[in-house]
Amino acid sequence: MSLYSSSVKRPVTTILIFVAVVILGLFSLQKLPIDLYPDIDTNTIMVMTSYSGASAEDIEQNVTRPLENSLNSVEHLKHITSSSKENISIVTLEFEYGYDIDVLTNNVRDKLNMVSSMLPDNANTPIIFKFSSDMIPIVLLSAQAHESVPGLYKILDENVANSLARVDGVGSVSIMGAPKREVHVYIDPLKLEAYHLSIETIAQLIGAENRNIPGGTFDIGSETYALRVQGEFEDPREIANIVVGASNGAAIHLSDVARVDDSLEERAQETFTNGVRGAMIIVQKQSGANSVEISNQIQKQLPHIQKNLPADIKLDYIVDTSDNIRNTIASLVETVLFALLFVVIVVFFFLGRWRATVIIVLTIPISLIASFIYLYASGNSLNMVSLSALSISIGMVVDDAIVVLENVTTHIERGADPKQAAVHGTNEVAISVIASTLTLIAVFFPLTLITGMTGVFFRQLGWMVTIMMIISTTAALSLTPMLCSKMLRLKRTENKYFTKFYGPIEKVLDKLDDGFAWLLTHCVRHRWITSLVVLGVFVASMFLMKFVGSEFFPTMDNSRLGINLELPIGTRVEVAKDVSERLYKEWTEKYPEIKVFNYTVGQASSDNTFGSMQSNGSHIISMNLRLVNPSERDRSITEIAGLMREDLKHYPELKKALVNVGGQRGGGMTGQSALNYEIYGFDFEKTDSVAQQLKRILENVKGAADINISRSDYQPEYQVDFDREKLALYGLNLSTAATYIRNRINGNTASYFREDGDEYDIKVMYDPEHRQSLQDIENITLYNAMGNGIKLKEVGKVVERFTPPTIERKDRERIITVSTVVQDRPMSEVIADAQPEIDKLDLPSGVIIELSGSYENQQESFSDMGVLAVLIIILVYIVMAAQFESFTYPAIIMSSIMFAFSGIVLILLLTGTNLNMMSMIGAIMLIGIVVKNGIVLIDYITLNRERGMSVRRAVIDGGKSRLRPVLMTSLTTILGMVPMAVGTGEGAEMWRPMGIAVIGGLTFSTVLTLLFVPTMYTIFAYNGIKRTRKKLHKSQAKQAKKQTEEV
Amino acid sequence: MKAIFISFDQAYYERIIEMLYKSGCRGFTAFNDVVGRGSNTGDPHYGTHAWPSLVQGILTVVEAARVDTVLEKLHEMDLATPKLGLRAFVWNIEKSI
Repeated sequence: MSLYSSSVKRPVTTILIFVAVVILGLFSLQKLPIDLYPDIDTNTIMVMTSYSGASAEDIEQNVTRPLENSLNSVEHLKHITSSSKENISIVTLEFEYGYDIDVLTNNVRDKLNMVSSMLPDNANTPIIFKFSSDMIPIVLLSAQAHESVPGLYKILDENVANSLARVDGVGSVSIMGAPKREVHVYIDPLKLEAYHLSIETIAQLIGAENRNIPGGTFDIGSETYALRVQGEFEDPREIANIVVGASNGAAIHLSDVARVDDSLEERAQETFTNGVRGAMIIVQKQSGANSVEISNQIQKQLPHIQKNLPADIKLDYIVDTSDNIRNTIASLVETVLFALLFVVIVVFFFLGRWRATVIIVLTIPISLIASFIYLYASGNSLNMVSLSALSISIGMVVDDAIVVLENVTTHIERGADPKQAAVHGTNEVAISVIASTLTLIAVFFPLTLITGMTGVFFRQLGWMVTIMMIISTTAALSLTPMLCSKMLRLKRTENKYFTKFYGPIEKVLDKLDDGFAWLLTHCVRHRWITSLVVLGVFVASMFLMKFVGSEFFPTMDNSRLGINLELPIGTRVEVAKDVSERLYKEWTEKYPEIKVFNYTVGQASSDNTFGSMQSNGSHIISMNLRLVNPSERDRSITEIAGLMREDLKHYPELKKALVNVGGQRGGGMTGQSALNYEIYGFDFEKTDSVAQQLKRILENVKGAADINISRSDYQPEYQVDFDREKLALYGLNLSTAATYIRNRINGNTASYFREDGDEYDIKVMYDPEHRQSLQDIENITLYNAMGNGIKLKEVGKVVERFTPPTIERKDRERIITVSTVVQDRPMSEVIADAQPEIDKLDLPSGVIIELSGSYENQQESFSDMGVLAVLIIILVYIVMAAQFESFTYPAIIMSSIMFAFSGIVLILLLTGTNLNMMSMIGAIMLIGIVVKNGIVLIDYITLNRERGMSVRRAVIDGGKSRLRPVLMTSLTTILGMVPMAVGTGEGAEMWRPMGIAVIGGLTFSTVLTLLFVPTMYTIFAYNGIKRTRKKLHKSQAKQAKKQTEEV
Repeated sequence: MKAIFISFDQAYYERIIEMLYKSGCRGFTAFNDVVGRGSNTGDPHYGTHAWPSLVQGILTVVEAARVDTVLEKLHEMDLATPKLGLRAFVWNIEKSI
């Protein structure tokens, strides 16, 4: 028994099965985590090898190259990049997407084992480090403080960091910009020398004095007591009173040669939020934890935490990544609901019956909700991709139900009992319903096969739509006939008001039918002219293609700007602070859109994991700006970024200035497109000069902003050149001498001061005023084993030198990257403008320039898409050819795909949208959607012919009677996409090109398909008739000839 | 005893069975999913792509007195929904067991 007859016969079972599906779906929905993207597996492994004392070039030769050579053979490797700097080599392996990172890590480890014997003896064992998206902080909090600044670190560490770290799923909480307490013992070198003391002795003494030592146990009478010496300092002031030596019989106290300063560490990052000094609290999640969940928990905790803080400390959000997720999801949910509303309106408009509308619309929630079961079962999340899959499908899941309902209605109108009509009506269209679903699956299923970064996006889209289509077809073949048999009536009771309301609509629709029939009659009569005109339109539109710009992914407006500024190397932190303050004042005035303005200056201390991972230094300023939500401002994030770039040009002290939309620089999917020109070549000087020339070229190209050369300048520094012979003469060796210098300038951690369970460093070093000039360095006294003091200038010289910068390599060759961000212009145009100039460059031998970055990704993905499109077209052709059992009809139907592409080109031009991955995906979806129209038309025309109509009548009658179903299914899809195409919510930028492409392509192709496909059919049908007639004539002539011969 | 052969669009099936039962004709033999075409008007019932509807036939042997009522009721049905198609033919039963 067939699906539909059993479901009509067993309505209770049918309805309960679908109720069960809906309940399961809602249950899954409740359990689904919310995220921005589907899980993206990491594909990067870093190998870090330290080799202390080696210069950048040594590291490159002895560590990086052997490592690269052996790691290069790891399979699935896409690129191998490395940077070699003093003391350390970092090799980064980028793999193709879609492979198990654990397996890859093991392969890398095997290779490392093989190569380790070839590394220098003193090099440490290479460390493997997996980079993952979990390391991106999910929440950045700012803590503004006034009076509490000195104790800020302790307060935040105890009250904020500790309680946040207890939240489920939080990986680590670090505090940036709050300096830690440190006890400094600032030595006056002159006095020290006068008393014949050294820093080392003092440090040792402090360490020796600051001790608690147990003295064992002893018995008094019948009791046993412990004996202890409690010598640890209880107050840092006590340190000043310790005796450090004796002179002429009098004790020398520490206070005689030094001052004790209980304050904060000297070099620390300072963070300012909205102009107020404070700290930044960085929350990172555990891998696999749900950001939205964590952020909800943090939001709940914050008021409690705030209550326990001193009154002057104010906690606030700088970045909450889940904000963006929540807003994006909310705006997509809105899109889905609007799409639903539009589809309901279209269905009601065409059918004019509420019962029928209800039956059809019911398939939408069922198929959509059922897809949540898939998401939950496959461990996915509710994200941008899955939600937009819902939005895309809304218009398509009703199509099957519409076809079934329409046919059942015809049967009922012919007089059949609804129950019988439901079974037989469904039976008639079941095959073509399944066939048209198969064409859609032929489109969406291959999407699940895409690999690479784009695959992450489209795999889920493909699965979701495929599943929804299967469910909607199942529902159309079981639930819809069942509901038809129960709800449709033979005789409709006409409501007076309803007739008044729907009457005019019906008249319009009737007129539309007649008008179309008239037009079609003319087209068929002048079929050659029609086909030439229509083909002409297609060819012309393809010529317009070159005016459409292209890019990889649209830039998303997530209200975040990251700005990295660099002053010349070695600039004091005070200068950096001054520049930041001026920028803060200028920008907060100019851009009222800025909600939070946070910047950090200074060198990160080494025990700050997050801080030390980013580039930092006294000359570097990093800013984090949060704008108000996109809907609350007129200027887009790219506009503001563009203006800021202009502003930064008025700061000549800045050496580099990068404004990054979305918080991080290009490359990814959400920021502005970035072009990376990679200059390969061994010689530093040659490649440097090419890089400079390239930079000048790009500066003159409109749309190229933020041009950056990756290789930094030679860094100036002072080096002490010891004369080894003299050192030996004084009984010193190089490392002892170097340690003396380090202890005096950087300081010697003598001991720890303990208070309330916390430890603070006690550092002994020169007073700041005695380490401010070269003379101060030259006058450092070194002591030999005999205790004789020798001035540094007697055994060595202080000279200024430049150290070579980090050596970067990619695919085993030295490289400099000149990168630029594309602004206000399609990426393709910027490349087209820059390329001729670059070709004119006279490159030295051995130097090549290659283009990568977003461009490389775009090229790869576009060609993937091209292959996919061909595959899909072939699959769709096969499905149709099987359905019609013909080679010609599918070919005629496929012509509607051409018009879809023309429509896309036209609408992209009209709306000024670029061709990107999203509009490409729209185009690919259209392949399946537009052939559906053709299938419906040709199916009915052949039906008419089989029923014995003449070609022309079959075509005109078929066209007229199929006009409404075609318009209806097309309109549901088009209007279902409208909310996506005009959406202004957060994340809307991403899907807008797809919505626009589908709307343009489908509208254009529907109109032309309705005219062109019947016309082409006529041409082919007449040719077919002519051929059969010719054959007939021939065989008749042959027979006649035979007969005459016989006679 | 007379035999009535009713040939009709399958949509009629349940209605006809019910009618026969109410008219006191319990026994029948039905032929499911058969094809056919009317002599003058109406669409063919071929179960093909072009003519998807199918015919069903019922052969029932009833007492001669009931034939007229049955035929009358069948005719009513046909007049109510002429597009579906329904015809009935009667002949004599010579012998039976």
